Amino acid sequence: MTRGSLLLTAGLAVLFAATASAAESVKIGMNLPQTGIGAADGKSVLTAAQIAVDEVNADGGVNGKPVELVVYDDQTSPKFSVPVATKLIEKDQVPIAISGSYSGATRAAAGVFQAAGVPYISAYAVHPDITRAGDLVFRTSFVGEVLGRAGAHLVGKQLGKKRAVVTVMKNDYGKSLARGFKEVAAKFGIEIVNEYEYSLKDRQFGPIVSKIKADNPDIIYDTGYWFVAAPLVSQLRGGGVNAPVVGQEGYDGQKFIEIAGAAADGVMITTSLDRDSTVPKIKAFMDEFEKRAGYKADMVGASAHVAVNVAVAALRKAGSLDGKAIQAALQQTKYEGVTGKIRFNEIGEAYKVVQVQVVRDGGWHHHSVITDAKLLTPPLN
Amino acid sequence: MIFVELILQGLIQGSIYALIAVGLTLVYGLLRILHIAHAALFTLGAYLGLLITNATGSLALGFLVAMVVVGVTGIAIYRFCYHAVLDQPPHVALIASVGLFIAMEEGFRLIWGPTSISFSEPPWQTAVVVAGIQVKTADLITIPLAFLLIGGLAAIVAFTRIGLAWRATVTDPAMAGSFGIDALKVRYLNFFLGSALAAAAGVMFAILTNFVEPTMGGVPSYKALAIIVLGGLGNVRGTLIAALMLGVIESFGTIYLGWAMDRDAIAFAFLILVLMVRPQGLFVRS
Repeated sequence: MTRGSLLLTAGLAVLFAATASAAESVKIGMNLPQTGIGAADGKSVLTAAQIAVDEVNADGGVNGKPVELVVYDDQTSPKFSVPVATKLIEKDQVPIAISGSYSGATRAAAGVFQAAGVPYISAYAVHPDITRAGDLVFRTSFVGEVLGRAGAHLVGKQLGKKRAVVTVMKNDYGKSLARGFKEVAAKFGIEIVNEYEYSLKDRQFGPIVSKIKADNPDIIYDTGYWFVAAPLVSQLRGGGVNAPVVGQEGYDGQKFIEIAGAAADGVMITTSLDRDSTVPKIKAFMDEFEKRAGYKADMVGASAHVAVNVAVAALRKAGSLDGKAIQAALQQTKYEGVTGKIRFNEIGEAYKVVQVQVVRDGGWHHHSVITDAKLLTPPLN
Repeated sequence: MIFVELILQGLIQGSIYALIAVGLTLVYGLLRILHIAHAALFTLGAYLGLLITNATGSLALGFLVAMVVVGVTGIAIYRFCYHAVLDQPPHVALIASVGLFIAMEEGFRLIWGPTSISFSEPPWQTAVVVAGIQVKTADLITIPLAFLLIGGLAAIVAFTRIGLAWRATVTDPAMAGSFGIDALKVRYLNFFLGSALAAAAGVMFAILTNFVEPTMGGVPSYKALAIIVLGGLGNVRGTLIAALMLGVIESFGTIYLGWAMDRDAIAFAFLILVLMVRPQGLFVRS
């Protein structure tokens, strides 16, 4: 053989081997932010998802075939999540997909997956309309309203605070949490003294801090992500507002503590990952995550780990790559993972308990667990 | 009491805007270019100031390096981006500027990562009580710092030879050229000083929020445009006053108009209102 034809043959052989092995794997599509404001969360999601995939493959994969993640960057924007969804459906032909992104992007993509007959799991995006896209859309974390209600439970029932100021981040996430909080605030004896709104892009809260100082509340409930909340909390303390701050899973992660510094001390959140958990499975996950990512595990990572495992459980149960079969399997799935026990209601919303964590000694720690079933039952419509 | 606090907060915010907008209006006044990439210099200043302070423990060094390096970067931007297209229609420089802004933001992301960075030991955080209002030292320093830097700029313009050359070039470039004034040197100075001020704004912003990330120049970029129009394009004093006014209006607007519109929208609502009444801006171009 000439050298040229030898190379050609070798090249073709590699190509065939590659396509052959690719055809053998079961693909799980994912849209997540690799650039833009959500990039830090996207890294957590990808790290944790890969841990889950590696564990699944070590355990025999799905019905003998290895699982493979197909990941595209959506920059947390619906502008990109929709074409990404289309690509996953038509080019990669994934049997199931997971959103590792925020509510805005997930909501837009959900419609696309539903229309194409591909089951879609929202790992941690909270907006209620996501699961309302149809029966193929599931959520493995809290819907916004439930988390908001849990916040009210923490503020009113557990901490016994009466006068609260609510600060709302003006997007899908922040608004749905605020709705949930306000829905049950009166029930827990909370009077909402004032409500302030701010945008995702705000970093300077001087006027709001001054006004809250004048309001003099017992407590502040905030619905922002860590990158707006950290400056907000830091400026609150700097302005002499010492009322406790209750946040939510948007704060979850080491970044919040890094940015806010000493001001983060004592801040409480309603979330899904218990850092002080003694459950071996959870500790093993947190250790492996820290080893791979270089920082401590967070809620978005934990949620992604759960979402991948739920997808795999459904794929195994369905025994096929048919959308309807996977949907039926998902509906029946009960899974216990790093965020606890989880099961779905008729519209694909998850029911699970809420972990309350508090900042102490520069890290997140166990505070309490909210298990009130009626409170945490996700809405049916 | 709350009104006094809101005014104070507004002036603090306005001071940051002023430091950014002055550079922008200087470039427009001299060259009629809308230097959108200016906001990327704000971001670069923040990154450099924070990283140097973290590395050396000296905030003064952080400020100095940020201002000097960004000043020189401003000159480089003039030299490599605008100089060649000065005689083209204005939209050419504008498009180049927008492209440069995007490229610089992506550059920051590629070099320093997409997530935020923070001070390892945030400076000027001690609480201070002034007239019954509690603030951090950083808040108190912002307003005098802005006045000092802009005042310094004004002093250079008013009392030095190069400042005189600058004023002459702005007023009548052809006449100034015939007197032997080196237009290129004047432009370099213009870009250096304007960019250095933006860098100072960036470092100050980093101290106030402890949060530096690649896209932080996005909001200041278009807000500064609104401010320089309000202040009269090319009018430094007008820009300063417009910046402070906007800071205060935003401060009150955030609290009392928050139900109606976004904080950033307030800047533009105000701009539209003013332009409807006085199309030349609040202050006439000097």
